Amino acid sequence: MVDENKDKEKTSKRKVGVYICYCGGNISDHVDVEKVRERVEKQPEVAVVRTNVFMCSDPGQEMIMEDLKNGTIDRVVVASCAPSLHETTFRGAISRAGGNPYIYEHANIREQVSWVHHGDKATDKATRLVSMAAAKAEQLKPLESIRVEARKHATVIGGGIAGLRAAKDLADRGIKVVLLEKSPFLGGQLANLDRIAPTGDKAAELVSDLAGQVLNDDSITVHTCSAVENFEGYVGNFKLGVKKQPPEMDQEKIKQLGAKDEAVGEFIPFAGIYNGAMPSVPEEFTVETGVIILATGFKSYMPYKGEYGFGEYEQVVTLPELIRSMAENKAAGNLMEYNGRKIRSMAMIHCVGSRQIPGIHPENEGGYLNEYCSRTCCSAALNSSNIIRTSYPGTRIFEFYRDIRTYGRGQEELYEDAARNQVVFLRFDDDASPKVARNTSHSGDFPLTVKVKDTLTFGEDVEAPVDLVVLVTGVEPNNVSDLVEMMKLPVGTDRFLLEVHPKLRPVELPISGILLAGTCQAPMDVGEACNAAGAAAVKAAALLGRGYVELDPFVALVDLEKCKGTGDCVEACLSDGALNIVEIELDGQTVKRAQVTPALCLGCGACVGVCPENAIEVAGWTLKQYEAMVDRIVAQEVAA
Amino acid sequence: MNSILKTDFDVLVVGGGIAGLQTALDLGDQDYKVAVVEKDATIGGKMIRLSKVFPTLDCASCITTPKMASAAHHDNITLFTYCDVNSLDRVGQTVTADVTQRPRYVDPNKCIGCRQCEYHCPVYVSDAEQGGFSATKAISIPFSNAIPQIAVMDVENCMLCGKCEKVCPTHAIDYFQEPEQFVITAKTAVLTTGFELTPVSNKHQYGMGEIPNVIDSMQMERLLAPHGPYNRVLRPSDGMEPDSIAYVQCAGSRDKSMGVSYCSRVCCMYAIKQTMLLSGSLPLADITVYYMDIRAFGKGYEQFYQNAKAMGIEFVKGKVAKISEGENGGVELHYESQDGEGVVTANHDLVVLSLGMVPGWNPEGICPVSADSDLFVKTIRPKLSPTLTDMEGVFVAGAAAGPKDIVDTITESGAAAVEAAKYMVALERSRKAAA
Amino acid sequence: MTSLEHSQREGKILILATETCAYPGADSVGQAHSSYPTNTFILRVRAPVLFPEQFYLDCFKKGISGIIIMSCGEECPYDGAYKAMATRLDRVYKMMRQQDLDIRRLRLTAICTVCNRAFLNEVNLMNTLLQEIGPPQMAQN
Repeated sequence: MVDENKDKEKTSKRKVGVYICYCGGNISDHVDVEKVRERVEKQPEVAVVRTNVFMCSDPGQEMIMEDLKNGTIDRVVVASCAPSLHETTFRGAISRAGGNPYIYEHANIREQVSWVHHGDKATDKATRLVSMAAAKAEQLKPLESIRVEARKHATVIGGGIAGLRAAKDLADRGIKVVLLEKSPFLGGQLANLDRIAPTGDKAAELVSDLAGQVLNDDSITVHTCSAVENFEGYVGNFKLGVKKQPPEMDQEKIKQLGAKDEAVGEFIPFAGIYNGAMPSVPEEFTVETGVIILATGFKSYMPYKGEYGFGEYEQVVTLPELIRSMAENKAAGNLMEYNGRKIRSMAMIHCVGSRQIPGIHPENEGGYLNEYCSRTCCSAALNSSNIIRTSYPGTRIFEFYRDIRTYGRGQEELYEDAARNQVVFLRFDDDASPKVARNTSHSGDFPLTVKVKDTLTFGEDVEAPVDLVVLVTGVEPNNVSDLVEMMKLPVGTDRFLLEVHPKLRPVELPISGILLAGTCQAPMDVGEACNAAGAAAVKAAALLGRGYVELDPFVALVDLEKCKGTGDCVEACLSDGALNIVEIELDGQTVKRAQVTPALCLGCGACVGVCPENAIEVAGWTLKQYEAMVDRIVAQEVAA
Repeated sequence: MNSILKTDFDVLVVGGGIAGLQTALDLGDQDYKVAVVEKDATIGGKMIRLSKVFPTLDCASCITTPKMASAAHHDNITLFTYCDVNSLDRVGQTVTADVTQRPRYVDPNKCIGCRQCEYHCPVYVSDAEQGGFSATKAISIPFSNAIPQIAVMDVENCMLCGKCEKVCPTHAIDYFQEPEQFVITAKTAVLTTGFELTPVSNKHQYGMGEIPNVIDSMQMERLLAPHGPYNRVLRPSDGMEPDSIAYVQCAGSRDKSMGVSYCSRVCCMYAIKQTMLLSGSLPLADITVYYMDIRAFGKGYEQFYQNAKAMGIEFVKGKVAKISEGENGGVELHYESQDGEGVVTANHDLVVLSLGMVPGWNPEGICPVSADSDLFVKTIRPKLSPTLTDMEGVFVAGAAAGPKDIVDTITESGAAAVEAAKYMVALERSRKAAA
Repeated sequence: MTSLEHSQREGKILILATETCAYPGADSVGQAHSSYPTNTFILRVRAPVLFPEQFYLDCFKKGISGIIIMSCGEECPYDGAYKAMATRLDRVYKMMRQQDLDIRRLRLTAICTVCNRAFLNEVNLMNTLLQEIGPPQMAQN
C-alpha cells in the first residue's frame, strides 16, 4: 500500500522549528518571507515554520517558547538580522522555555540577504540560508556553558578622570582594583585645563577630589609609571604583566615637581596629582584580575607645520596653550597678555584637526583624516573667549567657525554670552578655510591677518588683523597599538577603540571582560567620560558579582572511541595546556588519549583540521554541521 | 478593600523608556530587586516609537525590543505599567512612592493579548501611536511589539456595545475596573522620566500646529517606520507623494519665544537621519534642511552628516521666521537668506518641524527633587557624578536630566545604576555599623 | 560546453568568514546596503584552521565553484592560527593541482569588520574568474 503522505513523512529524528522575521519590512520588502516559509516547510528535519513582523518582540519569542514547551520542536532556527544583534535574545527565549540555549542556529537574512540582494534571487538565497541553518540545527547538541571562578578584582588602565571614576566606582561596589597609569601623574588630560565649561568647575579641584578619593581607598592600588607589557587569560582570570619604570615621558612636568616628596598627593597645575617616588630601576610584576577597564584617553591634536601658519608664525598657538597661558598669567588689565605681548585682537579658528573632509583637507603622515567632530572644543573655545572678554575688555575676539556645537546642558548659554560679550563670529564653508598670513597691508601694526569668506555676511571677504591666532584643536585617541595588538582590540576607522554596538553594548568589546571607559572610545567631556566610566564599572560589577563567569561551551571534544592518541592535535593546539595526551583506562586497557582543559581551550579548531581520525570536534561548530550546510548550498531541490 | 498593597524593592525606577530599562537591567544583573513604574500602557518609551536610529540606521525596534524583553523577563525586575506616581519621598532610609494603577478595563492577569477585542470593536479612533495618521480601535493593544501585550480600553470613545466582552476568550474585559492605589518602598530611586516634544501650539509664527502638511518630527518617524500608517511617505492632507520636503531646525529649541533657550541636542541628527531615509523612500524628492548650526557631535555623527550632504540633501543656513499655508496644500517658509537676498519665501509640499525636548515630568508637588532653570531635573555634580540629584539616594538618568541622544542616555543609565548600587552598599555598611 | 551553458550555470561561491572579523565585515556591507551577487554563501566560522584539507576538495566535488576564506589575517584572535592556516592551504593547493583543479578557485584573504570595499572586491574577483573558467571539472563526474 502506498501511503500518500509518505513523501511528506519526516525522516529526521529531530524536530526543527524555523522562525522567519519580516523585520517590519527590512526583510520582507526584498524577501518573499511566506514563500521562504512554504519552501522550507518541505525540508525533512523541519517540524514547523512560522513568520512574524518582529521575531525579537515578545510575541515573536513567545511563539518559539510555546512550540518548545508543547514538544512541537526540539531545535530552533531563527532567520532575521545579524546574529551579533539577536542570537543571545533567542538563546535566552529558549532557556526561559526550559530548553538548552545551544539547540539554536541563526540565519542572517537581513544584513546578508535583504539589505544586499533584491527580487526573486533574494528570496532564493534566503531560502537556502534558512535551509542550511535547519540542516545545522538538526545536528546541534545541547551544551552546558563552562563555569569558571572569577577573581573579584578589576584592573583599570589609565589614570585620567575616566580611569579614576571607574576605579572608585568599582571599589565602592566592593571590588578590589589595580589602577595602572603610564605617567607619574594622575588626572590625565583634565589636569591640563583650568576652568571647565560650562559649570566653571576648577579642573584642579575635580582631579584632586577624585584622585584623593582613589588614593585614600584601601581597595585601590595605584601604580604610576606602569604599563602593561603582557596579557593572557580570559574573563574572570586575566593575567597582566606590568612593567614599572622610570618615566620617559613628561620630563618637563617632572622638572616642575622640585622637592618631590612634599608634592605627593598634591595637584601640580598642568601635570596632575603626583603619586610619590618614581622607580629608579625598572621592575616587573604580575596582576591577576577578573576584568580590565580601558581608560587610555586622548591627546590633543597637534597641528602640522604650516597649518594656519602653525610653526611658522610664533603668534599662532593652540587652544590648550592659550588655556595654560591664561591660567598662569592672571594679571588684570584692559588687554590680555600672551608671552609678554599685549593682545589687542585675536582670532579663534575652530575645527582644527576635526571634521576633516577627504579631498579638502590633507591626510596626516599616517594617511588618515580626523573626519569626526571633537565635541568639546566649541564650548572650550567659547568659555575662553568669555573669560577673556570679561577680564580684558580691550581684547577683541574673532571666532571663525563652521557650526557652533554647544549641545550640552548650559552650553548654549556660553554661545549667548559670547554674543553678548561682543565676540565677532565669522562662519566659513567646509571648503573655504580661513587663511592666516603675515600682515602687509595694515601698516604692519598687527603681525598677522586672518582672511575668510564670511557666509554670515553674504559671502563677503573679511580680513581681521590680529596679534594672536588660536587654533581650536580637536582630540585624537592616544596611541595604544601595543594594547590593541596584545588584547586584539577592535579599532574603528576613526582610530578610537570600537564598542560592540553603540546602543546595545556601548562600553563592551567583543572580548568578554574587557570594557571601555571615556575618551579612548570617542571624544567626550568630563561628565560624559565619568558617565562612560560608571557604565563600564556597572558592567564589571555585574560580571564579577556572582564570583564566577560562564563561558561559551564551544571547546574541543574528544571522541574517545576514535582517538588513537597520536598527539597531532596537541602539536597543532594554539593554547598552551589546553590539550594533553593522557593515559586512561578504556575497556580494561590502558590507552593514550587526548584530553581537553576546557577553560584554556580557545575553541579555534586547530586540532580538528589535523586529526587523522576525525576524533576531535569543536562543540557547536562541528565539521559534520558544516558539511551538512555545504550539502544544502549545492542541493538542487532547496529553492525550487 | 481598605488595606493598601505595599511592596518592597531595592530600587524604584520611575519611567520605563530606554533609560529606565537600561538602569533596571544594570541593577537587576547585580541581583538588586528593581521596580519600574511606567505611566504608559507599554514600556519602551519614545525609542520604541522611532523608525530607525542614527548613526547606524538600525531599526529602533531591533535595539529596543530585546532590552524590553529582557527587562520583562528578568527575575529581579518587576514592571508596573499604566501607573502614575502620586508622590515620591524619602522617609529615613526608605524611598516611598504612592502609585495609582489606572484602569485598563481589562484584567491584566486574564488577558492573553489575542486581540480578539480589538478585531471586533466597532469604534475607530485616531491612533496616537501612528501620529494620528491612521485609526485604531477603542480597545486595543498599543502596538505590535508593546510589552506587556495587554489590551487597553479607551473609555472616552467606547460606546459600551459589549462586543469585546462577548468575544474575549478569557473573560478579561471589566467595565467596572477601578483605579488601584499601592505603595512601593525601596532603598533608592532613579528618575528616568524622559522627555516630551516642545509643544508647537504656542508658536503662532509656525501656525500653532494648524497648517496642513506641517507635521512634527515624531509624526515623520511614524511615516518612515516599517509598520507605519501608510507603509510609505505621503503627505497627510491629500495623500500626495511629496516632491519637496523641508525640515525646520530649532523649531522649539534655542528659541526664547517658546521658552526653550537650550539646544535639544538630537534634532540635527534625527532630521539628517530622516532625510536619508526619505531619500530612500522618495528618491526623486528634493529635501532641504533649514538650520542655524548642524550639531553632529557624537561618535560617527559628523561622518553621517557628510554622507547626507553627499547624497544631495540640501542644507540651507537660515532660521525660518514664519510658516504659512501655500497653494494646493503647499507650505510657505519665510526665512532670511544668507546670500544677501533678504527675506526669501520657499514653497514645499511637506514641512517637518524638528521639535525639541521638554521635560516629560514635573516633580513639583510629587517629589522634593529640584528642577533646574531649564525645568529638567537638577544635577548637583555634573562633572564627576552627573547622575546625582539634590535628593539623597535619588539619581537621574537620560533625558530627564536634559536633552540627550540614545547613546548618551544608555551610558548615563549605567552610571546611574552604579551610583544607586554604591549608595545601597554604603547604606548596608552603615546599617551594619549601627547594629 | 557552450558559452550559453556557462552563463546559465552560475557557479556557487562558498565564503568561510571568521566570526570576529570577516563575518561582521559582511554585515557591515549589508548595513551600507551595497549590492553583490547572490551566488555567495557565507558560513560563520570561529577560525578556518578548523577545516582539514579534504573539506575543500569535497566542496569542489559537491559542486562549489569557488571558495574564499575570509580570515582576520594578522588580526587573528588565535595566535598562530593564521600561519597554520597558510601552511594548510599550501597542501590543499598541491592536492588541487593533482586533481587538475584551478587553484585560483580557492583564495585566502583578510577581511576586517569594516572592510566593505575589500569584501565586495573579493566577491567580484571570484565571480569574474568563475565566469571565465566555469564550474570545476570534477563536479561533472
